[in-house]
Amino acid sequence: MSAPDLAQIGPGFSDVSLGSQAVFRAALQALSHPGRPFTVECDAHIPEGAHRAAGAVLLAMLDADCTVWLSPRHATGNAAWLRFHTGCTVVASPHEAGFIWVAQGDAMPPLDTLAQGSDAYPDQSATCVLETAGIDTQDGPGAWVLSGPGIQSTTLLRAHGLAADFAAQWSANHGRFPRGVDVLLTSAECLVGLPRTTRISTAEGR
Amino acid sequence: MHSTTGMFQAFDSEAVDPRADRQAWMALLARAPMDLLESALAPWSSAAPDWLRKPETGLYMVQGRAGATGERFNLGEVTVTRCALRLASGDARHVGVAYVLGRLHRKAHLAATADALLQDATQREALDTNLLQPLRQWSAQRSAQRQAQAQSTKVEFFTVARESGGADGDEDAP
Repeated sequence: MSAPDLAQIGPGFSDVSLGSQAVFRAALQALSHPGRPFTVECDAHIPEGAHRAAGAVLLAMLDADCTVWLSPRHATGNAAWLRFHTGCTVVASPHEAGFIWVAQGDAMPPLDTLAQGSDAYPDQSATCVLETAGIDTQDGPGAWVLSGPGIQSTTLLRAHGLAADFAAQWSANHGRFPRGVDVLLTSAECLVGLPRTTRISTAEGR
Repeated sequence: MHSTTGMFQAFDSEAVDPRADRQAWMALLARAPMDLLESALAPWSSAAPDWLRKPETGLYMVQGRAGATGERFNLGEVTVTRCALRLASGDARHVGVAYVLGRLHRKAHLAATADALLQDATQREALDTNLLQPLRQWSAQRSAQRQAQAQSTKVEFFTVARESGGADGDEDAP
Protein backbone atom coordinates (compact mmCIF):
# COMPACT_ATOMS: atom_id res chain seq x y z
CA MET A 1 0.00 0.00 0.00
CA SER A 2 1.41 3.39 -0.90
CA ALA A 3 2.10 6.02 1.72
CA PRO A 4 -0.77 8.45 2.17
CA ASP A 5 -0.37 11.87 0.63
CA LEU A 6 0.15 13.86 3.80
CA ALA A 7 -0.38 17.21 2.09
CA GLN A 8 -4.16 16.60 2.17
CA ILE A 9 -4.33 15.52 5.81
CA GLY A 10 -5.28 17.86 8.63
CA PRO A 11 -4.22 17.76 12.27
CA GLY A 12 -5.80 15.40 14.80
CA PHE A 13 -6.88 16.21 18.37
CA SER A 14 -4.70 18.96 19.87
CA ASP A 15 -4.50 16.80 22.99
CA VAL A 16 -4.95 13.17 21.98
CA SER A 17 -5.89 11.84 25.43
CA LEU A 18 -8.28 14.58 26.54
CA GLY A 19 -9.77 15.10 23.08
CA SER A 20 -10.61 11.45 22.54
CA GLN A 21 -11.85 11.05 26.10
CA ALA A 22 -14.32 13.91 25.62
CA VAL A 23 -15.66 12.32 22.44
CA PHE A 24 -15.76 8.90 24.10
CA ARG A 25 -17.81 10.41 26.91
CA ALA A 26 -20.33 11.76 24.38
CA ALA A 27 -20.58 8.34 22.71
CA LEU A 28 -21.05 6.67 26.11
CA GLN A 29 -23.82 9.13 27.00
CA ALA A 30 -25.49 8.57 23.63
CA LEU A 31 -25.55 4.79 24.09
CA SER A 32 -26.77 5.17 27.69
CA HIS A 33 -29.65 7.40 26.63
CA PRO A 34 -30.81 5.98 23.29
CA GLY A 35 -32.62 8.46 21.07
CA ARG A 36 -31.26 11.56 22.81
CA PRO A 37 -29.05 13.79 20.63
CA PHE A 38 -25.66 14.75 22.10
CA THR A 39 -23.39 17.42 20.69
CA VAL A 40 -19.82 16.30 20.08
CA GLU A 41 -17.04 18.74 20.98
CA CYS A 42 -13.94 18.14 18.87
CA ASP A 43 -10.99 20.33 17.89
CA ALA A 44 -9.55 17.88 15.36
CA HIS A 45 -9.73 18.60 11.65
CA ILE A 46 -12.49 16.44 10.13
CA PRO A 47 -12.39 16.13 6.32
CA GLU A 48 -14.93 17.96 4.16
CA GLY A 49 -17.90 15.79 3.29
CA ALA A 50 -17.86 13.88 6.57
CA HIS A 51 -20.06 14.67 9.55
CA ARG A 52 -17.97 16.21 12.34
CA ALA A 53 -19.67 14.01 14.92
CA ALA A 54 -19.04 10.83 12.92
CA GLY A 55 -15.41 11.68 12.18
CA ALA A 56 -14.73 12.58 15.80
CA VAL A 57 -16.20 9.33 17.12
CA LEU A 58 -14.09 7.22 14.77
CA LEU A 59 -10.97 9.25 15.56
CA ALA A 60 -11.56 8.64 19.27
CA MET A 61 -12.55 4.96 19.12
CA LEU A 62 -10.28 3.40 16.49
CA ASP A 63 -6.77 2.13 17.05
CA ALA A 64 -4.32 -0.24 15.39
CA ASP A 65 -6.32 -3.31 16.51
CA CYS A 66 -9.54 -2.16 14.82
CA THR A 67 -10.92 -3.04 11.41
CA VAL A 68 -13.20 -0.60 9.64
CA TRP A 69 -15.27 -0.72 6.46
CA LEU A 70 -15.94 2.56 4.66
CA SER A 71 -18.84 3.24 2.30
CA PRO A 72 -17.72 4.27 -1.23
CA ARG A 73 -17.70 8.03 -0.57
CA HIS A 74 -15.51 7.71 2.50
CA ALA A 75 -13.34 4.98 0.99
CA THR A 76 -12.17 7.32 -1.78
CA GLY A 77 -11.62 10.46 0.27
CA ASN A 78 -11.10 9.68 3.92
CA ALA A 79 -9.38 6.31 4.22
CA ALA A 80 -5.89 7.87 4.27
CA TRP A 81 -6.92 10.40 6.91
CA LEU A 82 -8.36 7.71 9.19
CA ARG A 83 -5.37 5.41 8.72
CA PHE A 84 -2.84 8.16 9.41
CA HIS A 85 -4.43 9.23 12.66
CA THR A 86 -5.64 5.92 14.09
CA GLY A 87 -3.54 3.21 12.41
CA CYS A 88 -6.70 1.14 11.85
CA THR A 89 -7.06 -1.47 9.11
CA VAL A 90 -9.50 -0.69 6.29
CA VAL A 91 -11.18 -3.89 5.08
CA ALA A 92 -12.89 -4.53 1.74
CA SER A 93 -16.05 -6.29 2.86
CA PRO A 94 -18.44 -5.13 5.60
CA HIS A 95 -18.81 -8.50 7.35
CA GLU A 96 -15.11 -8.52 8.34
CA ALA A 97 -15.23 -5.11 10.00
CA GLY A 98 -15.55 -4.14 13.65
CA PHE A 99 -16.63 -0.65 12.64
CA ILE A 100 -18.76 0.50 9.72
CA TRP A 101 -18.78 4.11 8.51
CA VAL A 102 -21.53 4.98 6.05
CA ALA A 103 -21.51 8.41 4.39
CA GLN A 104 -24.66 10.46 4.00
CA GLY A 105 -26.30 9.30 0.76
CA ASP A 106 -24.42 5.99 0.57
CA ALA A 107 -26.30 2.70 0.95
CA MET A 108 -25.97 0.97 4.31
CA PRO A 109 -24.97 -2.71 4.14
CA PRO A 110 -27.86 -4.87 5.50
CA LEU A 111 -27.51 -5.16 9.27
CA ASP A 112 -27.78 -8.96 9.26
CA THR A 113 -24.69 -9.25 7.02
CA LEU A 114 -22.46 -7.52 9.58
CA ALA A 115 -20.50 -9.13 12.39
CA GLN A 116 -23.08 -10.14 15.02
CA GLY A 117 -20.79 -11.40 17.76
CA SER A 118 -21.59 -14.72 19.43
CA ASP A 119 -23.65 -15.63 22.49
CA ALA A 120 -20.41 -16.04 24.43
CA TYR A 121 -18.78 -12.88 23.01
CA PRO A 122 -21.57 -10.43 22.06
CA ASP A 123 -18.99 -7.61 22.22
CA GLN A 124 -17.41 -8.84 18.98
CA SER A 125 -20.24 -7.48 16.88
CA ALA A 126 -19.93 -4.47 14.56
CA THR A 127 -20.56 -0.86 15.55
CA CYS A 128 -22.12 1.21 12.75
CA VAL A 129 -21.68 4.94 12.41
CA LEU A 130 -24.43 6.06 10.03
CA GLU A 131 -24.52 9.63 8.70
CA THR A 132 -28.12 10.71 8.25
CA ALA A 133 -29.62 13.67 6.39
CA GLY A 134 -30.86 15.06 9.72
CA ILE A 135 -32.10 14.00 13.13
CA ASP A 136 -34.80 15.50 15.32
CA THR A 137 -37.03 14.42 18.17
CA GLN A 138 -40.31 15.85 16.79
CA ASP A 139 -43.44 13.87 16.11
CA GLY A 140 -44.42 13.68 12.47
CA PRO A 141 -44.39 11.40 9.44
CA GLY A 142 -41.80 8.66 9.78
CA ALA A 143 -41.25 9.25 13.50
CA TRP A 144 -40.07 6.28 15.56
CA VAL A 145 -41.19 5.52 19.08
CA LEU A 146 -38.18 4.20 20.98
CA SER A 147 -38.34 2.18 24.19
CA GLY A 148 -36.01 -0.03 26.14
CA PRO A 149 -33.16 0.26 28.67
CA GLY A 150 -32.06 3.86 29.20
CA ILE A 151 -35.44 5.32 28.19
CA GLN A 152 -37.89 6.23 30.98
CA SER A 153 -41.06 5.38 29.05
CA THR A 154 -40.83 6.16 25.35
CA THR A 155 -39.07 8.77 23.26
CA LEU A 156 -39.59 10.05 19.72
CA LEU A 157 -36.93 10.14 17.04
CA ARG A 158 -36.92 11.06 13.37
CA ALA A 159 -33.85 10.17 11.33
CA HIS A 160 -33.92 11.30 7.71
CA GLY A 161 -32.25 9.67 4.74
CA LEU A 162 -31.96 6.12 6.13
CA ALA A 163 -32.90 2.95 4.24
CA ALA A 164 -36.69 2.58 3.94
CA ASP A 165 -36.63 -0.82 5.66
CA PHE A 166 -34.32 0.28 8.48
CA ALA A 167 -37.00 -0.19 11.16
CA ALA A 168 -37.72 -3.73 9.93
CA GLN A 169 -34.00 -4.57 9.85
CA TRP A 170 -33.68 -3.10 13.33
CA SER A 171 -36.44 -5.26 14.81
CA ALA A 172 -34.67 -8.35 13.43
CA ASN A 173 -31.42 -7.02 14.94
CA HIS A 174 -33.15 -6.48 18.30
CA GLY A 175 -34.50 -10.04 18.11
CA ARG A 176 -31.00 -11.50 17.90
CA PHE A 177 -30.09 -10.22 21.41
CA PRO A 178 -27.56 -10.71 23.00
CA ARG A 179 -25.98 -10.74 19.54
CA GLY A 180 -26.55 -7.87 17.12
CA VAL A 181 -24.99 -4.61 16.02
CA ASP A 182 -25.05 -1.22 17.74
CA VAL A 183 -25.68 1.93 15.73
CA LEU A 184 -24.62 5.55 16.18
CA LEU A 185 -26.66 7.93 14.03
CA THR A 186 -25.09 11.30 13.28
CA SER A 187 -26.22 14.61 11.93
CA ALA A 188 -23.60 17.27 11.20
CA GLU A 189 -22.77 18.01 14.86
CA CYS A 190 -24.96 15.59 16.84
CA LEU A 191 -24.77 11.97 17.86
CA VAL A 192 -27.68 9.65 18.70
CA GLY A 193 -27.10 6.17 20.10
CA LEU A 194 -29.15 3.16 19.09
CA PRO A 195 -27.88 0.15 21.06
CA ARG A 196 -29.19 -3.33 20.21
CA THR A 197 -31.41 -3.30 23.30
CA THR A 198 -33.59 -0.47 21.96
CA ARG A 199 -36.97 -1.28 20.40
CA ILE A 200 -38.26 0.81 17.50
CA SER A 201 -41.96 0.94 16.73
CA THR A 202 -43.05 2.99 13.76
CA ALA A 203 -45.96 5.42 13.94
CA GLU A 204 -47.98 3.14 11.64
CA GLY A 205 -47.65 0.27 14.13
CA ARG A 206 -48.77 2.32 17.15
CA MET B 1 6.24 -0.58 -10.03
CA HIS B 2 6.36 -2.92 -7.05
CA SER B 3 6.87 -5.94 -9.28
CA THR B 4 9.79 -8.30 -9.15
CA THR B 5 11.56 -6.38 -11.92
CA GLY B 6 11.47 -3.34 -9.67
CA MET B 7 13.32 -5.31 -7.05
CA PHE B 8 16.14 -6.21 -9.44
CA GLN B 9 16.43 -2.69 -10.78
CA ALA B 10 17.41 -1.58 -7.32
CA PHE B 11 20.53 -3.73 -7.63
CA ASP B 12 21.29 -3.38 -11.32
CA SER B 13 21.12 0.34 -11.94
CA GLU B 14 21.55 3.63 -10.14
CA ALA B 15 18.49 4.67 -8.16
CA VAL B 16 16.14 6.80 -10.24
CA ASP B 17 13.45 6.83 -7.57
CA PRO B 18 12.48 10.44 -6.82
CA ARG B 19 12.04 9.44 -3.18
CA ALA B 20 15.65 8.29 -2.88
CA ASP B 21 16.92 11.79 -2.01
CA ARG B 22 14.38 12.17 0.74
CA GLN B 23 15.08 8.70 2.08
CA ALA B 24 18.79 9.55 2.23
CA TRP B 25 18.33 12.79 4.17
CA MET B 26 15.73 11.28 6.51
CA ALA B 27 18.20 8.50 7.33
CA LEU B 28 20.93 11.08 8.00
CA LEU B 29 18.63 13.21 10.17
CA ALA B 30 17.50 10.20 12.19
CA ARG B 31 21.10 9.50 13.20
CA ALA B 32 22.14 13.12 13.64
CA PRO B 33 23.55 14.34 16.95
CA MET B 34 21.45 16.95 18.74
CA ASP B 35 24.01 19.78 18.75
CA LEU B 36 24.35 19.75 14.94
CA LEU B 37 20.56 19.83 14.52
CA GLU B 38 20.09 22.59 17.11
CA SER B 39 22.70 24.90 15.61
CA ALA B 40 21.67 24.47 11.96
CA LEU B 41 17.92 24.77 12.62
CA ALA B 42 18.02 27.58 15.17
CA PRO B 43 16.09 30.08 12.91
CA TRP B 44 13.11 27.71 12.62
CA SER B 45 13.10 25.66 15.78
CA SER B 46 11.68 28.28 18.17
CA ALA B 47 8.37 28.86 16.33
CA ALA B 48 5.64 26.34 17.17
CA PRO B 49 4.75 24.25 14.09
CA ASP B 50 1.30 23.03 13.05
CA TRP B 51 1.39 19.50 14.38
CA LEU B 52 -0.18 16.79 12.29
CA ARG B 53 0.99 14.30 14.85
CA LYS B 54 2.78 15.48 17.96
CA PRO B 55 5.95 13.62 18.96
CA GLU B 56 4.99 10.26 20.44
CA THR B 57 7.19 7.47 21.68
CA GLY B 58 6.52 3.81 20.99
CA LEU B 59 8.13 0.48 20.28
CA TYR B 60 9.08 -1.15 17.00
CA MET B 61 10.02 -4.78 16.57
CA VAL B 62 13.31 -5.09 14.70
CA GLN B 63 13.58 -8.17 12.54
CA GLY B 64 16.73 -9.70 11.14
CA ARG B 65 17.78 -12.54 8.89
CA ALA B 66 20.71 -14.78 9.75
CA GLY B 67 23.37 -14.08 7.14
CA ALA B 68 20.90 -11.64 5.58
CA THR B 69 19.29 -14.54 3.69
CA GLY B 70 17.60 -16.88 6.20
CA GLU B 71 14.11 -16.76 7.68
CA ARG B 72 13.15 -13.57 9.46
CA PHE B 73 13.40 -13.60 13.22
CA ASN B 74 12.55 -11.00 15.84
CA LEU B 75 15.75 -9.40 17.07
CA GLY B 76 14.20 -7.19 19.73
CA GLU B 77 12.20 -4.06 20.32
CA VAL B 78 13.56 -0.55 19.91
CA THR B 79 12.19 2.70 21.26
CA VAL B 80 11.20 5.08 18.46
CA THR B 81 9.84 8.63 18.57
CA ARG B 82 7.89 9.88 15.56
CA CYS B 83 6.09 13.05 14.56
CA ALA B 84 4.64 14.87 11.54
CA LEU B 85 4.34 18.64 11.18
CA ARG B 86 3.76 21.60 8.89
CA LEU B 87 5.92 24.66 9.39
CA ALA B 88 3.83 27.68 10.33
CA SER B 89 5.94 29.94 8.09
CA GLY B 90 6.56 27.49 5.27
CA ASP B 91 4.64 26.09 2.35
CA ALA B 92 1.62 24.15 3.65
CA ARG B 93 2.12 21.41 1.06
CA HIS B 94 5.35 20.25 2.65
CA VAL B 95 4.84 17.92 5.57
CA GLY B 96 7.93 17.06 7.58
CA VAL B 97 8.08 13.57 9.03
CA ALA B 98 10.62 12.05 11.39
CA TYR B 99 11.17 8.65 12.94
CA VAL B 100 14.16 8.65 15.29
CA LEU B 101 15.53 6.13 17.76
CA GLY B 102 15.13 6.99 21.42
CA ARG B 103 12.78 9.13 23.44
CA LEU B 104 13.96 12.64 22.58
CA HIS B 105 10.85 14.50 21.39
CA ARG B 106 12.96 17.54 20.60
CA LYS B 107 15.12 15.54 18.20
CA ALA B 108 12.08 14.21 16.32
CA HIS B 109 10.76 17.78 16.14
CA LEU B 110 14.04 19.11 14.70
CA ALA B 111 14.45 16.23 12.23
CA ALA B 112 10.89 16.75 10.95
CA THR B 113 11.52 20.50 10.64
CA ALA B 114 14.59 19.79 8.52
CA ASP B 115 12.62 17.31 6.41
CA ALA B 116 9.92 19.91 5.71
CA LEU B 117 12.51 22.56 4.79
CA LEU B 118 14.48 20.23 2.53
CA GLN B 119 11.35 19.52 0.47
CA ASP B 120 11.17 23.24 -0.29
CA ALA B 121 13.36 23.84 -3.35
CA THR B 122 14.18 27.41 -2.26
CA GLN B 123 15.63 26.30 1.08
CA ARG B 124 17.27 23.06 0.08
CA GLU B 125 20.62 24.36 -1.09
CA ALA B 126 21.32 26.46 1.99
CA LEU B 127 20.28 23.69 4.33
CA ASP B 128 22.32 21.15 2.38
CA THR B 129 25.48 23.19 3.10
CA ASN B 130 24.59 24.08 6.67
CA LEU B 131 23.18 20.80 7.88
CA LEU B 132 23.51 17.82 5.55
CA GLN B 133 27.19 18.39 4.65
CA PRO B 134 28.32 18.47 8.30
CA LEU B 135 26.09 15.48 8.99
CA ARG B 136 27.64 13.48 6.16
CA GLN B 137 31.11 14.34 7.44
CA TRP B 138 30.17 13.40 10.96
CA SER B 139 28.62 10.15 9.81
CA ALA B 140 31.65 9.19 7.68
CA GLN B 141 33.98 10.07 10.53
CA ARG B 142 32.01 7.97 12.97
CA SER B 143 31.89 4.91 10.74
CA ALA B 144 35.64 5.21 10.05
CA GLN B 145 36.25 5.42 13.78
CA ARG B 146 34.15 2.33 14.45
CA GLN B 147 35.83 0.47 11.63
CA ALA B 148 39.26 1.29 13.03
CA GLN B 149 38.14 0.15 16.45
CA ALA B 150 36.89 -3.15 15.09
CA GLN B 151 39.98 -3.54 12.90
CA SER B 152 42.28 -3.37 15.94
CA THR B 153 40.65 -6.48 17.40
CA LYS B 154 41.01 -8.50 14.22
CA VAL B 155 42.65 -11.89 14.68
CA GLU B 156 44.33 -13.81 11.89
CA PHE B 157 43.99 -17.57 12.18
CA PHE B 158 46.76 -19.72 10.78
CA THR B 159 46.52 -23.46 10.38
CA VAL B 160 49.73 -25.38 10.66
CA ALA B 161 49.58 -28.38 8.41
CA ARG B 162 50.58 -31.56 10.18
CA GLU B 163 53.49 -33.41 8.74
CA SER B 164 52.55 -36.77 7.31
CA GLY B 165 53.69 -40.03 8.94
CA GLY B 166 55.35 -40.20 12.37
CA ALA B 167 53.05 -40.16 15.41
CA ASP B 168 49.82 -40.66 13.44
CA GLY B 169 50.23 -44.43 13.57
CA ASP B 170 49.71 -44.43 17.38
CA GLU B 171 46.12 -43.15 17.19
CA ASP B 172 45.11 -45.72 14.61
CA ALA B 173 46.36 -48.63 16.66
CA PRO B 174 43.54 -50.88 17.91
